[in-house]
Amino acid sequence: MNPLISVDQLSVYSKASCLVSPLTFNLHQDRPLTILGQTGSGKSLLAQAIMGLLPDSLRIKGKVSIFAKTLTKQECRAMWGKELVMLPQEPWHALDPLMTSLRQVRDVYQWVVGQTEHTANSSAMKALTSLGLDKSADKLPGELSGGMAQRLAIVAATAGGASLILADEPTKGLDVSRREEVIRLLQDKSQGGGLLTITHDVHVAKQLGGDIMVIKDGQLVESGTVEQVLSNPQAEYTKLLLQAQPSEWPIVDRDPGYFAKSDRIMQTEALRLVRGGKTIIEDLSFTIAKGEVVGVVGDSGCGKSSLGDALLGLLPLEAGSIERFDKKAKPHQWLKLYQDPPSAFTGSVSLATLLDDLVSLHGVDQARIRPLMTRLSLSQEILERTCLEVSGGELQRFAILRALLLDPVFLFADEPTSRLDPITAKEVTMLLVELAREQDCSVLLVSHDPDMIRHTCDQVIDLS
Amino acid sequence: MMVSLLKHATFGQKCGGLLLLVLLAFALFGNGLAPNDGAYQDLDAILAPPSETHWLGTDHFGRSMVARMADAIRLSFMLGVLCVVTSSIIGVSLGVWAAWSGKKVDAVLNVFVNILLALPGLVIVLLFAAIVPGSFFVLYLAISLVQWVEYFRVVRAVTKTTVDSPAMQSSQMMGFGRWYLFKRHIWPAIAPSVFTLATFGCATAILTMASLGFVYVGMQPPLAELGLMMVELFPYYSDAPWLLAEPLIAIALLVLGFHLLGRKSS
Amino acid sequence: MKKIFFPRLFQLLSVIWGVGTLTFILMRALPGDMAYRIAASRYGQDNVSSDAADLVRQELNLDQGAVVTYFSWLKELLQGNLGRSLVSDEPVWQILQHMLGHSLLLASVALFLSFFIAIPLGLLGATFGKKVDQGIVVFSTTIRAMPVFVVGLIFILVFSIHWNWLPVAGFGSPEHIVLPALSLAFTLAAISNRVVRNAAIKAFYAPFYRFAQIKGLSSGRTFLRHGSRHIALPVVAFLGIQLVGMIEGIVMIESLFSWPGIGHGLAHAIFARDIPVIQGAALLMGILFVVLNTLVDLVCYRLDPRARRQA
Repeated sequence: MNPLISVDQLSVYSKASCLVSPLTFNLHQDRPLTILGQTGSGKSLLAQAIMGLLPDSLRIKGKVSIFAKTLTKQECRAMWGKELVMLPQEPWHALDPLMTSLRQVRDVYQWVVGQTEHTANSSAMKALTSLGLDKSADKLPGELSGGMAQRLAIVAATAGGASLILADEPTKGLDVSRREEVIRLLQDKSQGGGLLTITHDVHVAKQLGGDIMVIKDGQLVESGTVEQVLSNPQAEYTKLLLQAQPSEWPIVDRDPGYFAKSDRIMQTEALRLVRGGKTIIEDLSFTIAKGEVVGVVGDSGCGKSSLGDALLGLLPLEAGSIERFDKKAKPHQWLKLYQDPPSAFTGSVSLATLLDDLVSLHGVDQARIRPLMTRLSLSQEILERTCLEVSGGELQRFAILRALLLDPVFLFADEPTSRLDPITAKEVTMLLVELAREQDCSVLLVSHDPDMIRHTCDQVIDLS
Repeated sequence: MMVSLLKHATFGQKCGGLLLLVLLAFALFGNGLAPNDGAYQDLDAILAPPSETHWLGTDHFGRSMVARMADAIRLSFMLGVLCVVTSSIIGVSLGVWAAWSGKKVDAVLNVFVNILLALPGLVIVLLFAAIVPGSFFVLYLAISLVQWVEYFRVVRAVTKTTVDSPAMQSSQMMGFGRWYLFKRHIWPAIAPSVFTLATFGCATAILTMASLGFVYVGMQPPLAELGLMMVELFPYYSDAPWLLAEPLIAIALLVLGFHLLGRKSS
Repeated sequence: MKKIFFPRLFQLLSVIWGVGTLTFILMRALPGDMAYRIAASRYGQDNVSSDAADLVRQELNLDQGAVVTYFSWLKELLQGNLGRSLVSDEPVWQILQHMLGHSLLLASVALFLSFFIAIPLGLLGATFGKKVDQGIVVFSTTIRAMPVFVVGLIFILVFSIHWNWLPVAGFGSPEHIVLPALSLAFTLAAISNRVVRNAAIKAFYAPFYRFAQIKGLSSGRTFLRHGSRHIALPVVAFLGIQLVGMIEGIVMIESLFSWPGIGHGLAHAIFARDIPVIQGAALLMGILFVVLNTLVDLVCYRLDPRARRQA
């Protein structure tokens, strides 16, 4: 049987360099293919090249055939929606913010399938109902949750009848609990067709099965069936990727009796938090000991970040109380690490200037900087740059450096690694926990990944 | 500072800057090119075409156009700069204050701004000009009164997002004081907009004065003012078209210079 | 909806207060007897006598100091009592009625024309590559550098005086409106075509635009369903900002072309120091400005379902 998509020695070039080195693969009916790699590894370009979506500034070499035909951009365009479709990375952005759910789906039935407006309306309603989106038919994308938006995007994309699906990071930004239903939906919609998934998430590959290709910096690292590659990886990079999954992290052990002896740093009593008129946290009481790493886990919108902000006094309490025991600690020793590193720094001056500002304000011992930077694997050169000119991982490590120089007693880390790729995320989280323990600084680590919390924290607060 | 400014300037901004420098030089030293000052009437040389003695010709009273143009452009620059300095200082400080110091200040200032925004700027200036006709000072006051609102609104909006940003929150938690937060966070965020507003505001101020002169309710003769000169010289457009062209070109170049200088690269 | 109307209502009151206060100051700044001037404005230049002036003095408490006088002045204004012109002796309301019609005609023709120039030009700049766009930038920058009355002046010199195609100034035949409307339209379009272009580029490169095509919609259908509204929203919102420019342009263009509208009336009244007409014209302009702004708000509200949801 002919492959649905056949890619032969396909490579993508920008003016200056090669972004994707020659790749060859075939996608067969009912046999999913997953391309695994970190952000920036060129895997999205591959999907765009197949769809005929590459910007004119990029050139491709090699051959792509779909249904055993080599297509021009125009011919490819004619197949969009009807036979071939690509799912967007961020469904919230891919849906028209001014249009209701129903209309975004109805449009496809009406203008692509060619139904009358009335029939299209009922077809769309039926499709939404089958995914439990019937109550959201009149909602705008801004009023949907991430999971709902992704389901809606899938319905809209496949309404035109396409069963050959390219999915680019279909689970990006989704809560762990939502991932599975999206993957199941993908499998369902591609039945009798083909499914090419691009992801950085090993779990997605595992669940989909079929074949897998591991890509790094535009180069093929390893390929084979999913079982083969994931259970017995050959390449060093694949192993690293697998180990970077939070479920594979080493468990940071500490003697359970350790905190019984140590001092408490804070205690909350019957905490209640309200955001936008809705109670998000009710009757929450816990104690944090000195040097303890406390994990907070839950789906997005459950109030994890708000809890941290409340502990730091950045958010008013609706009810309950927070008591701090360390009376000697100054206000600047209660600190926060932010989710999106670049937004937590001013881009107006270099990192060196920011560090100098801190040193002169609090009289920090200059001699401590270099060793700590080495521990955090930060090179001296990055200090010359501004926060916009360094990578997210470097910047988050710099944020940790800045925080630790102030000898914090409490650090609220608000999903500090959710914007980083898995390998960097593991490094940064491990370093943070390790260094905080050395300084006997308590950490409130917020994450949507229960595995990460389980492997790094002494105490877990589950808000879901 | 100057060097880094030059380095970051776009081609258009450099052109605008150069154009303004040339105009400024002419405004300051142009009188030296004329045989007499702008008020001297040479009745033997009425509507004279450009020549070696009168580089830009003479007007219907035989006054040297070089001198009068220099006077008029200097007046325009003076008004523009005065208005920009006054309105930007008031607008920026009130904008930062409103965004940073709680709801009460913000609410009071917003009421005030809403009142000012209820009338088109030119109408406000016209009414002021009606009260004290031909006064440069009142014109300056009226234009500044209209223009500070622009700075206020932009600065307030940008400051609000900056104050709520993780970056500033983080600095605040680390114990930095108000001046530091302004210097490192707020000022870098608002500076580009303030600069653009300032250049465009300068152009608008100059335009407003010319507009008033053009409808004969601004500066009064015999003062040399670009809008007024257009009206005065219009009757002679067939005998001496170059005369009418001079103030037209001057105002277009002034406005163009400021617009080019202020435009960010897209 | 309340969010739209309350601030605008407040602005309307501000306009009345602001114009009233400024003209009151203007009245006091003039030399001579204020009561006499007001009496003249009410009863006409010919019927005014010292008796009438005394009556006014009593009624408005003009002999009781500035503050009391000021409040009776505002009271008159709120009752809609605008008086008569000091020059022509006609009731101000009547003068304003005539002027308003002319101004609205000029404004709507100019606005319509400006759309006709700006929308195609903006879309052209957004779709036809860098060279075309740069050409449009040069054109826009050049027009923007010229004040609206200079554009008008050049049009007069070229089309009326040099080629003698169209009348220089005045009012009456349809030809008369061509040049003033065109000058205003060009000035407005020089700015708004950039807004159209930026909005179009933003829409065309938005992820949802591409996704709509991937869903299978044709280019034309995608533009209609997803492009048009996303372009219209910022453009209409910008219209609110451009209203200031339009009203200022009307003052200048009407004066230049002797178009008998409010702007021309206001400039003339200021020149003639005809205080009741100054007050009336400025007031009408302010009201027009607030009303048009409210209309823009309402259109935005209609176009944007997000705003409607919040209300």
